[in-house]
Amino acid sequence: MKILVCVKQVPDMESKFKLDKENKWFSEEDLAFRMNEYDEYAVEQAVQLKEQTGDAEVVVVSLGPDRAKEAVKKALAMGCDRAIHIKDDDYYKKDSYSVAKNIYEYVKDENFDIVFTGLQSQDRGSAQVGVILAEFLDYPCVTTIIEFEYNNGEIQVKRELEGGEKAIVKVKAPVILTCQLGLNTPRYPTLPNIMKAKKKEIKAAEPVDTENLLTFTDIDYPEKKGAAEILEGDVKELVDKTMEILKQKTSVLK
Amino acid sequence: MKLLLIAEYKNKKFLESNYELIAFADKLNADYVMFGVGGGSDLPKCDGKFYLADSEKAGEYNPSLHKKLIAEVMEKEKADFIVLSHTSYGWDLAPRLSAELTLPQVSEVVDVSGNNFILPACNGKLWRKVSTDGKGIITIQGGAFNPESDYEGTPEVINIEVPSVETKVRFEGYEKAEAVGVDLTKAEIIVSAGRGVGKKENVENVRKLAEALGGELGASRPVVDSEWVEHSHQVGTTGQTVAPKLYVACGISGAIQHLAGMKKSDFILAVNTDKDAPIAEVADVLVVSDVNQFAPALADKISSK
Amino acid sequence: MEFSRQIYWNVGHVVLIPMYLLAFIAIGIMIYGFYKRYLVYKTAGSENRMDSLSERIFYMLRNVFSQKKVIKEKIPGIFHGIFFWGFLLLFIGTVLVLLQADFTNPLFGIKFLTGTFYLVFSLVLDLAGLAAIVMLSALLIRRFFIKPEGLETIRDDYIIHGILLVILITGFVIEGLRISVTELGSGSILPFFSPVGMFVANIFTGFDAGNLQSAHKFIWWFHFLLAMTFIGIIPFTKLRHIFTTSANLMFRDNRLKGFINTPDLEDEEAEQFGCEKLTDFTWKDIFDGDACTKCKRCQDRCPAYATDKPLSPMKVIQQFQEAAFYANTENMVDFVTSDVLWSCTTCRACQETCPADIEHVNKILEMRRNLVLMKGEFPGDEVVTAADSLEVNGNPLGFGFAKRGDWAEGLDVSLMSEQADVDILYFPGCFASFDKRNITVAKNFISICNELGLKVGILGKEEKCCGEPARKLGNEYLYQMTAMENIEKFSDYNVKKIVTTCPHCFNTLSKDYRELGLEQSVEVEHYTTFLYKMFEEKDIDLESDGFECTYHDSCYMARYNDILDEPRALIESAGGRINEMDKNRCESFCCGGGGGRILVDEKIGTKVNATRAKMAADTGSGTLISNCPFCLSMFEDGIKTAELEDKIKVKDLSEIIVDKIKRRS
Repeated sequence: MKILVCVKQVPDMESKFKLDKENKWFSEEDLAFRMNEYDEYAVEQAVQLKEQTGDAEVVVVSLGPDRAKEAVKKALAMGCDRAIHIKDDDYYKKDSYSVAKNIYEYVKDENFDIVFTGLQSQDRGSAQVGVILAEFLDYPCVTTIIEFEYNNGEIQVKRELEGGEKAIVKVKAPVILTCQLGLNTPRYPTLPNIMKAKKKEIKAAEPVDTENLLTFTDIDYPEKKGAAEILEGDVKELVDKTMEILKQKTSVLK
Repeated sequence: MKLLLIAEYKNKKFLESNYELIAFADKLNADYVMFGVGGGSDLPKCDGKFYLADSEKAGEYNPSLHKKLIAEVMEKEKADFIVLSHTSYGWDLAPRLSAELTLPQVSEVVDVSGNNFILPACNGKLWRKVSTDGKGIITIQGGAFNPESDYEGTPEVINIEVPSVETKVRFEGYEKAEAVGVDLTKAEIIVSAGRGVGKKENVENVRKLAEALGGELGASRPVVDSEWVEHSHQVGTTGQTVAPKLYVACGISGAIQHLAGMKKSDFILAVNTDKDAPIAEVADVLVVSDVNQFAPALADKISSK
Repeated sequence: MEFSRQIYWNVGHVVLIPMYLLAFIAIGIMIYGFYKRYLVYKTAGSENRMDSLSERIFYMLRNVFSQKKVIKEKIPGIFHGIFFWGFLLLFIGTVLVLLQADFTNPLFGIKFLTGTFYLVFSLVLDLAGLAAIVMLSALLIRRFFIKPEGLETIRDDYIIHGILLVILITGFVIEGLRISVTELGSGSILPFFSPVGMFVANIFTGFDAGNLQSAHKFIWWFHFLLAMTFIGIIPFTKLRHIFTTSANLMFRDNRLKGFINTPDLEDEEAEQFGCEKLTDFTWKDIFDGDACTKCKRCQDRCPAYATDKPLSPMKVIQQFQEAAFYANTENMVDFVTSDVLWSCTTCRACQETCPADIEHVNKILEMRRNLVLMKGEFPGDEVVTAADSLEVNGNPLGFGFAKRGDWAEGLDVSLMSEQADVDILYFPGCFASFDKRNITVAKNFISICNELGLKVGILGKEEKCCGEPARKLGNEYLYQMTAMENIEKFSDYNVKKIVTTCPHCFNTLSKDYRELGLEQSVEVEHYTTFLYKMFEEKDIDLESDGFECTYHDSCYMARYNDILDEPRALIESAGGRINEMDKNRCESFCCGGGGGRILVDEKIGTKVNATRAKMAADTGSGTLISNCPFCLSMFEDGIKTAELEDKIKVKDLSEIIVDKIKRRS
C-alpha cells in the first residue's frame, strides 16, 4: 500500500506577527515555525495505518522554503519513509490551486492508495489544497475526518459537523482524507526514530510554473471595530471596575 | 452581479444560516438564485429562483454529485460567484467547484471592501485582502453577514433531475453528539474556560464565577480536547453557537472557530493576560489579569453582595 | 597472681585443628557467596569507581570506623554505632587472643595479654560486649515491638538478631563458667575486671566444677560453630552489608552533586538511550541494592512518599536487588512502574541522608530517559505540550519566543545584541521572563544591580530555556539542543560571568553545561551568593527594621550546591529573624517543583506544596522566604490549597532586599 501525507510548515500562532515591507505577507522576523497542527494528525494517521497493515510505504510531501525541511524531518521521525520537498521561497505567493497543482505534478505517477492532508493550514486557512488535489487525481475525497477505521480495503470515517454531530461515511481506496484536530494523538518521535529520519531520503524538487486563479492584494492588521475597553490594574481594582461595568452595561447584577 | 447561493440542508431541514448567504448578496447589492439539495417544504423564504434537487435521491452528503448538479445550474444561470457557507458542507464542496470550473476559491470571507474580499489569517491576528477577475467560488464565515431583518417571500422552485450515478463516497447517516447536558443556546449568562486557566483543577475557578453570576459553564475547544470539561459545554463552530446577554471569556485567546460561536452575544467580557489577544476584537471589555486570580475574586465580590 | 588467663583452658589445644579447619570452610563459603554475587554485578555495564583510590579508601575507613553517617540519625543511629564499636572491640579482642595463642606464644614465647594491659583488655571487652547486647536488645525492641512506620522486617532480620544475641550471650556464659571455676574465690581482683563475666559466674556458685567444665566445653563449641555460621551466612543475608555497605562508601560518586551522564546523541551507533533492562545499568546500580540495609532514612525524607505517591526510594533500590537476584524480571521500567518514576522531584533528600552513599536519583532519571527517548511516553499530555513549546519557542510555558525580553522594557539593562560590554549577564530563565509573579524577581534583581552600579546585560529573545526541566523529565535530546544554543550565545558574546535568580538554571549552567562545552572560565553564580559578596565588597548595609520570617532552603541550593548561609546572612542583615522550620538546611522538605514536576499535573496523593506550606505556617512567623521561581510558584499555590492565606505569605529573597536597599539610598 502507498500512503501520501501532505504537510506544511507554518508559524507558531503564539508569535507576534509583523507585516513584510510590501505588506504582501507577514515578515519572518521573530517567528518560530512548526508543522501545521492539522497535518500532525494526518501524519499520525498515516503512520498508524502503516503499522496496522504491516506493509505500506508512507511518503510525505511539502511545498515551502528551505526551513520547511524541519517539518518534513519531523514527519519522517514520526514514521514516514521518504519525502519530497518542493523547495519554493515564493510559496506564499501561490494560491491553493497552484499549490495543489505543484503537489499533483510530483505525485501523479506514484499511484497512492490513500492520501492524508490537514483540513486547513493555520496561517491561511483556505481548506482547499486537499480537495483540489483530489479533483486533479480524480480520487474521491472526504473532509474534516475525526475518526478513521481501515478493514481490508474498506475505509470508514466520521466527519465532524457543526454542533458536535458526526457523519458516517464509507469509501474505498484510492481516496483523499483531510484531517480535523482530535483525530488521534500524534506521537512524540522517539530518539532512535529522529536519528533514523536523518538518513531517510528527502528528494528536492523544483516548483512548477503555475498561474494563480486568485489575486493577493495585501495583508494588514485587523480593523479594530468597536475596540474593547482595556482594564488594567491590580486584582482588587479590576474586580471593582468590572462590577461597575456589569451593573451599568448589563442587566446581570441588579 | 449575479450570485448562485448554495443552501445547506441537514437532518431533513434547511438551515437558518442560509439567510446569511442572502444577507451577503444584499451587502454586495447582487442578484441571486439559490440551489439546494433537500426536501420540498420549508424552503428558505426569499424571492427568485430556487433550484431544488431531491435529497432522497441525491443524498444529504454526496459531494461529487452535488458538484455536478451545481455545475449544471451554473451553465444555465452563468452566475459570477457561487457562494457557500464556510461549514463542513461548504468547505467540502467549494474546492471541487473551484477545480471543476477552474475558478478561484475565496475561503471564509468576513467582509468586503470594494473589489476585495477580506479573509482572516493566522488565527485572526491578520487580515488578507484578495480579489478575482470577477468570477469565483466564495465561502462566507458563519456570523459574518447577518440579515437586517427576517426575510419574507416564496421562491420559484425549479426541480432538477438527479441522475443515478454510482457514488464512491457512501454517506451512512448521522451520529448525534453526546446527550447535551446543558443547552447553552438557552442560557442568558455563559462563563467560558479557555487554555489560559492552565490546568484542569483551575476550571473550578471559572465554574464558581459562573455560579456566582447565575450562569452556565462554557468551554473552548482545546479545553474540551484536553478533557478538562465535557464536550457538551463547548462553544464554537464544532460546539454550540450562543448569543447570551453576557458572555465571559476566561483565558480564551479567541480562535476564529470560538469567536464564530459567541460573537453575537450582547455583552462580552474577556479576561486574559494578553491585551492583544484576538478575543479583544469582539469583546466589549478586556480585563488584563490572570483568570485564576480574577475569577475567584470577582465571584467572591458578587456572592458577598 | 599473674594477670592473664589460659587460652584454650578446658577445651585444650586439640581444638586448634578442627577450629582452623572450620574457620577455613566458613571463610571459604563466605568468599564463594560473594563471588556468586560478583558474577551478577558483572552482568551489567562498567563504571569506573576506582579513581583516586587512596582517597576513596581513606573516606571509607574514616566513615566506617567513625560511623559518622550512621549516628547522624540519633535513634537508631547511635545504637547501631555503639553496637558496631562494641562488636569491633570484641573482634579485635578475639584477634589479639588468636595472635597470642597461635602465633606469638608458640613461635616466640611472647605473651602480651598480661599485667595491666590484660586488666584493661578484659574490662574493655566486657563493657564492649555488654554495650553490644544492650544496644542489640534495644534495636530488637524497636524493630519487633515498636515497629516504626515504614520499617520492613524480613527473614534475615530474625536470623541476624537471633544469631548475634546468642553469640554475645554465649560468649559471656563461657566467660562466666571459666571465671567461676578459675578465678572466683581465689581472692584475685581479676573477676572485677570482667564485671559481666563475674556476674554470670556468681550464678554458677555451688555447682560441681566438673559439670561446669563440661558445660563450658559444650557452649564453647556451640559459640564457635555459631560464629562460623555467622561468617558463612554473611553474603547470603543482610549481614553482607558489613562488606557491601562499607565498599559502597569506597565506590561512591565523587563527582559534583547532581552529576548525570551526558550521552553523545550524535553517535550513530547508539541504539539504546536511557536504561530499561537491568543490564542497561551499571554494576554499581546492582551493588547499591546490596549495600542497602533498608534503614528507610531515604523513604522517611522523600516528599513523594510523604504525600502518598507510590514512590519509595528505598523500594526502588531494593527492586534492583530483587531483579538481579530473585525475581524473574529483566525490565526495570515495568517493574518499578512509570507512576513511581514520574513521582520523583529529584530533591536528593534520599541521597543526602543515605549512610551507604547509595545513588537513587540517577537510576530514576535513566529510566525516565528510556520512557521519553525510546518510547515517547510522558507523564501527561500537558508535558508533551510543554516539550513542544520548548522546542518551537524555547520555553515550556507556551509563550512566543520574541516576547522573552519584554519584561525588561524600560529598565536600566541592556540587550547583549546591542551592548555586550557588561559586568554580568543576567540569566532570568523562563519563569522570571514570562510568569507574572516571577517577573517581579527579575525586575527586583535589576533594581538591586542598578543600586550597586553594575552594568547588566540580558540575552532577551535570544535566551532559551536552560533545559533543566526537560533533562530531569528524561528528554535529554531536547535538553542538549536548547543548552547548546545557549552555550553558543554565551560564546558569541564572550560572556565572562553569569548570574541567575533560579537555582535550577544555576545548577545546570554552572555544572551540567560544562559537559557540553561551556568553559570553566565562565563563572556562574546564584544571585544570593553574588549579592552577599557584592554587599561585602561595596560595604553595603541594608535598612534593618526587624521582622519575623522563616526561610525555605530550595533543594537545588542546599542539597545540590551547599548554599545555606549566604541567603540567611542576607535575610538577617535585612532585619529578618529566621524562625527555622524543623526540616531546614540539608533536611529541607521539597516544594514539589523539582524533577521537571513544575510542568506536570499532580494527580496522585496529596499536594507536596501544601504540605510544605503548612510547615512554614506552623512556625507562626507569617512570612516565608524562598529564592527559587519554582518554590515561589509552588508556595503561592500551596498556601491557597491549604487555605493558609491568613497565616503565611511567601516572598522571594529579592523582594526583601529591594525594599531595604532602596530605602537606604
